[in-house]
Amino acid sequence: MSVAGYVAGHRIRVGGAVAAVAAAAIAVLLDLPIASIVTVGFVERSLQAATPIALAAIGGLYAEKSGVFNIGLEGFMILGAANAAAFVWLLGGESPTQGDLWIAVAGAVLASLVYTLLFAVLLIRYRADQIVAGLAVWFIGLGFGPFSAVLIWGNRNSPGLVSVNDVTVPVLAELPVLGPILFDTSPLVVSTAVVAVVAWVVLYRTRYGYWIQAAGENPEALDTAGVNVARVRYAAVIFSGAMAGLAGAVLLAHAGSFTGTGDTMVNGRGWIGIVAYLFGNYNPLGAAAAALLFGGLDMLQIQFQTAGIELPNRLVNLFPYVAVVVVLTVWGSTRMPAAVGESYETEE
Amino acid sequence: MSDADPGRGRAVLDAVAARMLDATVLQRLGIATASTALALAIGLVAVALSGYDPVAFLANVAEGAFGDANAIARTLKFTTMFVLVGVAVAVAFRAGVFNIGVQGQFVVGGFATVIAILQFAPLLPGGTVGGLALLVVGTVAGIVAGGLYGALPGVLKAYGDANEIITTIMLNFIAVGVVGFLVEGPLRGEGNRAPNTERLPEYVQLPPVVFDSPDFSLVGLAVALVVVVVVSFLMVRTRIGYDMVTSGHQAAAATFSGADARRTVVTTMTLSGMVAGVAGAVFAVMIQGYYSDPSGVATYGFDAIAVSLLAANNPLGVVPAALLFGGLDSAGTHLSINSDVPPQLIDGVVGLVVLFVAAPELFRMAARRAGLGGENR
Repeated sequence: MSVAGYVAGHRIRVGGAVAAVAAAAIAVLLDLPIASIVTVGFVERSLQAATPIALAAIGGLYAEKSGVFNIGLEGFMILGAANAAAFVWLLGGESPTQGDLWIAVAGAVLASLVYTLLFAVLLIRYRADQIVAGLAVWFIGLGFGPFSAVLIWGNRNSPGLVSVNDVTVPVLAELPVLGPILFDTSPLVVSTAVVAVVAWVVLYRTRYGYWIQAAGENPEALDTAGVNVARVRYAAVIFSGAMAGLAGAVLLAHAGSFTGTGDTMVNGRGWIGIVAYLFGNYNPLGAAAAALLFGGLDMLQIQFQTAGIELPNRLVNLFPYVAVVVVLTVWGSTRMPAAVGESYETEE
Repeated sequence: MSDADPGRGRAVLDAVAARMLDATVLQRLGIATASTALALAIGLVAVALSGYDPVAFLANVAEGAFGDANAIARTLKFTTMFVLVGVAVAVAFRAGVFNIGVQGQFVVGGFATVIAILQFAPLLPGGTVGGLALLVVGTVAGIVAGGLYGALPGVLKAYGDANEIITTIMLNFIAVGVVGFLVEGPLRGEGNRAPNTERLPEYVQLPPVVFDSPDFSLVGLAVALVVVVVVSFLMVRTRIGYDMVTSGHQAAAATFSGADARRTVVTTMTLSGMVAGVAGAVFAVMIQGYYSDPSGVATYGFDAIAVSLLAANNPLGVVPAALLFGGLDSAGTHLSINSDVPPQLIDGVVGLVVLFVAAPELFRMAARRAGLGGENR
């Protein structure tokens, strides 16, 4: 097997290795104090930052695997975060409880289901341009998210609401390093890891997963086999919207309040989610790993500060975006499912 | 074989083509109108559901857009910006390249304009002549910077296969972050409390014509219209434009006709970025007079996508679409002062317009159903 062949076949492994070597090289070259940058707290924060990106990415890859490019992830995340914040406020007012927060997260996912259904109808039944419609969802989120915040709080930002409590497993949490990362952390981080594994199993080991892949690769064959292509695609798109809504709600649950100024609190994470699943080559586990990379970059700022490295925040905050551009350029040519973007007409 | 035959054949062909073009233009006009009307209707429902009076809201919108000379100047100010950024988007979308990065190219271009003018101001004489020279210098700087910032994702797409939708969105964040950092620190005007550059010299401004407004000049609108004409000419009458439009419609046909697909992508993105650079220059000179932190600046580059789509990505069609959006934004400004309805509603309505424009089939089916109902009766 030639080197090029190996690289093509193991893009993620090679890519990850190259990224790790590059990061290490930069660290050594700049003489960075690695020990004070890669701390247990950093890993914890990175996992938290990665959670919404990973959820959106897993949803997005299901839609794209089924042949529909859901570019509206960013918009659905904004709406999910805004809805979760609104529900928390309606349930608990000034001092919401953990219970209110969990109900609000569930409510935000349900709301996402409703408008992703409308979105899916436009895409699949009315054959809307998937790229333009997806962009529209982003604009709608950017408009109506802050709009509802102003209606409720008279301000595009909500007051401090409530953030999710860490779940501490007794005894195990005392373990060094692994304890605080795995057994004393946000339950949403752990659930996301579970979601990633389940998504992998469903996609690659069950009938439904094969249907989704077939809907994206060869819809005619799936149709011939007697499976309704449109229904498979509806299911996948609605799932992707629900996951993006959940991602927004999780972002809110970690942040504890809604921010609607500028590009809102989502601030490009939906777009980064798309890159995460491209980088992960449409594999849920790969996507989650890529999300962790971007989450880590997002949290570098705090580490730089504590390590006493003086770099302007404004610039450190741009690391994830720069990383996305580099990743896309170097590993951009992922093999998309064959029928992505094409509407499918059954011949009855 | 006589000369008359191909001539006549050509005339018939032209007539047929013209009629078909008319039909699609009419249909597109219908879809654009229906999309806007439906989006506004949903906006009004949102207003009513939020407990406000939709009729009063509509009256406020009309007054804010065209109520008096002030409102009209404000509407035309926004229209000028939307024409320019709309053309920037249309150039790219026409060629099948999804440049979502007009916002970033607009920011980089406008910032370059201000920096260039501030750098050159001490070297040139003051007064009208110096002002004119500085305007030229600033505009050129804006065009070059915008063009380069557009070319970057073009090169990444052409030679690195990087999806331009995502790279341009990331480059928007990067442009805002870097320019924001520069005006906050290194390039902040001396003694400025706010994160702004120094002000442009007094004599560097567009002369007021008809409207006596501090941030609108008909000269700016004229510049925008000139850009429309130049770009339309380029798209319809030159080889570059032909390659771009063909690539947008049918990539294989473009390659067959001898267009280098990669080079076309880079050219398209560069041209799109250059127009966005002009928009940045006009914004910096006509509206701001300095450069501030772009995260607080209006997001013309995003609304531009809606403007262009509504115009079916036709540079000429961008003008009426820009007038519509200029009116809406102007109304939004008026609303934020004179009404309790959150002006963010306007952004949401813009998003809905884009959503409906994306689904022309929705209206075609609706029209067909309505037609069918008529026959059955």
